[in-house]
Amino acid sequence: MDKMIQSPRGDVTITNDGATILKQMQVLHPAAKMLVELSKAQDVEAGDGTTSVVVIAGSLLDATAKLLVKGIHPSMIADAFQHAAEKSIEILEGMSSPLHLSDRESLLHSASTALNSKVVSQYSGILSPIAVDAVMRVIDPTSATNVDLNDIKIIKKIGGTVEDTELIEGMVFNQKTTGAGGPNKVEKAKIGLVQFCLSPPKTDMENQVVISDYAQMDRIMKEERQYILNIVKQIKKAGCNVLLIQKSILRDAVNDLALHFLAKMKIMVVKDIEREDIEFICKGLGCKPIASLDHFLPENLGHANLVEEVQTGSSKVVKITGVAYQGRTVSILVRGSNKLVLEEADRSIHDALCVIRCLVKKRALIAGGGAPEIELSLRLREFSHSLTGMEQYCFRAFADALEVIPFTLAENAGLNAISTVTELRNRHAQGEKTAGINVRKGCITNILEENVVQPLLVSTSAVVLAAETVRSIMKIDDIVNTR
Amino acid sequence: MVSLGMNVLQHGAEEEKSELARMSSFIGAIAIGDLIKSTLGPKGMDKILQSGDASKTIQVTNDGATILRAIGVDNPAAKVLVDLSKVQDDEVGDGTTSVTVLACELLRGAEELIGKKIHPQTIIAGWRQATDEARRALRDSAIDNGNDPEKFKQDLINIAKTTLSSKILTEQRDYFAELSVDAVLRLKGSGNLDAIQIIKKLGGGLRDSYLDEGFLLDKKIGVNQPKRVENAQILIANTSMDADKIKVFGARVKVDAVSKVAELEVAEKEKMKDKVAKIIKHNCNVFINRQLIYNYPEQLFADAGVMAIEHADFEGVERLALVTGSEIVSTFDNPENVKLGYCKLIEEVMIGEDKLLKFSGVALGQACTIVLRGATQQILDESERSLHDALCVLSQTVKETRTVYGAGCSEMLMANAVTNLAAKTPGKEAVAMEAYAKALRQLPTIIADNAGYDSAQLISELRAAHTEGKTTMGLDMENGEVNDVAQLGITESFQVKRQVVLSAAEAAEMILRVDDIIKAAPRQRAPDHCM
Repeated sequence: MDKMIQSPRGDVTITNDGATILKQMQVLHPAAKMLVELSKAQDVEAGDGTTSVVVIAGSLLDATAKLLVKGIHPSMIADAFQHAAEKSIEILEGMSSPLHLSDRESLLHSASTALNSKVVSQYSGILSPIAVDAVMRVIDPTSATNVDLNDIKIIKKIGGTVEDTELIEGMVFNQKTTGAGGPNKVEKAKIGLVQFCLSPPKTDMENQVVISDYAQMDRIMKEERQYILNIVKQIKKAGCNVLLIQKSILRDAVNDLALHFLAKMKIMVVKDIEREDIEFICKGLGCKPIASLDHFLPENLGHANLVEEVQTGSSKVVKITGVAYQGRTVSILVRGSNKLVLEEADRSIHDALCVIRCLVKKRALIAGGGAPEIELSLRLREFSHSLTGMEQYCFRAFADALEVIPFTLAENAGLNAISTVTELRNRHAQGEKTAGINVRKGCITNILEENVVQPLLVSTSAVVLAAETVRSIMKIDDIVNTR
Repeated sequence: MVSLGMNVLQHGAEEEKSELARMSSFIGAIAIGDLIKSTLGPKGMDKILQSGDASKTIQVTNDGATILRAIGVDNPAAKVLVDLSKVQDDEVGDGTTSVTVLACELLRGAEELIGKKIHPQTIIAGWRQATDEARRALRDSAIDNGNDPEKFKQDLINIAKTTLSSKILTEQRDYFAELSVDAVLRLKGSGNLDAIQIIKKLGGGLRDSYLDEGFLLDKKIGVNQPKRVENAQILIANTSMDADKIKVFGARVKVDAVSKVAELEVAEKEKMKDKVAKIIKHNCNVFINRQLIYNYPEQLFADAGVMAIEHADFEGVERLALVTGSEIVSTFDNPENVKLGYCKLIEEVMIGEDKLLKFSGVALGQACTIVLRGATQQILDESERSLHDALCVLSQTVKETRTVYGAGCSEMLMANAVTNLAAKTPGKEAVAMEAYAKALRQLPTIIADNAGYDSAQLISELRAAHTEGKTTMGLDMENGEVNDVAQLGITESFQVKRQVVLSAAEAAEMILRVDDIIKAAPRQRAPDHCM
């Protein structure tokens, strides 16, 4: 289920993503603040599982409360939990199945699983392939160990429905072309990225032009025209027919006169490009940013098959497709019927991208649907029999605490939680390592066959981070208010 | 004589005399000691420090100095103890909790003695003798492995493990002990901890932290720059590269034709070009600027094949200058006078979600970076503090190579020596010396208490063992019994222990000598005359 969060200013957010909900809440209690940080860390590390990690941490803390009542010292509990976390990683790795990045099917399944809990889950048929293709295009499959998600740009536009979301092998800009009669569609485009200003000369110091004579005013206007015409002519000479202009902090980036000239020469203009986007654009188009007129040479231009302005809903975007240079960037144009759905779709795609990124980092899959947690719980309980003393108690408590995930999954699905979890436990004890809760059918099935899978990194990271946070909370015995 | 009840002091000032003063000193000091007690030892606990201001940030820590620094105290004796722990932190790095607790225990003993009508000066004389004896005993028991590199390295690892055992890193203390010893040995005795940089990145677990032998800068390379430079000559600057403004307010240029303005614009560009040319003439292939590098100069650098990095933060730049052996310049007119930094390889690496620049093979071969990963920001901060403590202690030990046994062994040794001396001393000083020995014995008692074991039993066993001559016995907190510390490998630096004993005794002496507290009147503010 989702939560609706209202900010004091009245902005509303509807979301299912744990990290987002926690970030918006104003938490006062210090231990709760640590859990918020925990979910942020899981977001950074794995991207998904932000809710699970907080739920696991909460359940572990619950278990420690019971152990403390029994009189076990907190640092003993902390040590035992650490030991249990390390054992869990071993067990999880034993359960996992390795994955090759060329196996598109499995990648699609994990992306779909990540999207399953979100509002946009019925569109997972469209969104999962987009996420998988985006990541595949951005990395080098043979050598990549990490993915820079900044190479995938997500642009949101209200209008249409989530079904209209598309992956663009090229680039999309949120800005529209500046009117003034310039072309809206250019084929065989040569794109120049300009970092200087096409406007009348202005020094960095304040300047004034002082004239003593009326006739001189005319001369000034003519000189301005000449100057700008010069600049535009040189641009045209290099063969450029699409111009991307960076926003300038020093002065007006483009003058109307310049726009008029450019339009007459049939050059399409897109202005107000942010400075941070420059690197992304260069990577995608294979052009070099041009900071002064003397650098405006044909080698610095990018090439594309088609640049056009497209109407999307009530506003326009500029799409560049068929880029000659095989850049390692992609853009995703996300559509949605209203702002809230759009934002949630954006977050969901981000989660799906992170899931694929996890698979690139650690190429192993594990079954979903609560199966890993129950398996862990069972194996840890078995292992605890070989331990002595307090450690055995703590291990068992850890194992029991992990069952909260399948319990919650069953509850949220409307099934009878206790009978579901006990049946699940039974199946695992009989050796069915991949039995999990199938929420659509409402029973326990072999979840691997249902293609509900998640990256190994999400589960291991969740267990490790939760155990570490619980350890640090355990070691606290006093809250001091400082000045 | 009739007391006229006249006020000698200014209105608003307060005075506490003799018993009241002493009582308030004791109360203050003992309160601080009790607060800090529970963080001592391998089973010590942490505290949350919640800041009172609007941001309500929280800190989780075990380090005595950090906790004391954050508390606001009114009581003057308590303030003395807070200062004490701060000095211990600055001088040595570890033992901040021990020193405060020892001073508090000494004062607790003194309170009893005062109740028995023993004069404070007698107590102080007795303490002085006891301190000398304790120091002698400690010195005699110290072991020096400075000449044997193998044994010395093992000593260092043991010391690091002991320091980290009471902090949050205790689970991975073997790993982190190796890490810090590695880092400190790289310094090759220079003791300059600035060369070791600690970078914190959220995400991953504590186990994912590692030692990187290069230097990491938290910045990205500019666009279109070479992403990897070998045999780099580095020029570090602190100059504005966006626009050369005249810093005279209201400066203005007046011309009479637009073409002249164009000329001026070109002239300004030429100036920037000249500046870049001058920089390039320094024969550097990496240019690092503390401020912004705008587009035009960036492109010129890219054309010349020079890697340009902008917005480097001040601390990073200072460290970089230290580590690569270069100077920070602001003008570029004299290339001969400028020292360029050097390093073998610069490339971009990714940690978590951020990209950083790695400088490897730096001139100051001693530099290295420790990258810390952790689950929450508080864990990262506390790990940094703990690691810093360990590094301080280790760098001290490299200079002063003697070590002593930890786990309460040295304390019991010193206490027994003092008791023996007291038995031979006539006069009331002996009573004071007995109290001193009792205070020393409190330290291992507190450690055992924090672990939940039967402290009375353990301490009596330990004392008996020491009296029998087994002077290497100490407390084993894993199993809750008395064991041979030399085998357990719990070692501490001689310098740290000595500093703890001396500072605590001095501070306790100073507080004991006080018999009058005078609080000055608050400064009267002149009344504001405002409409």
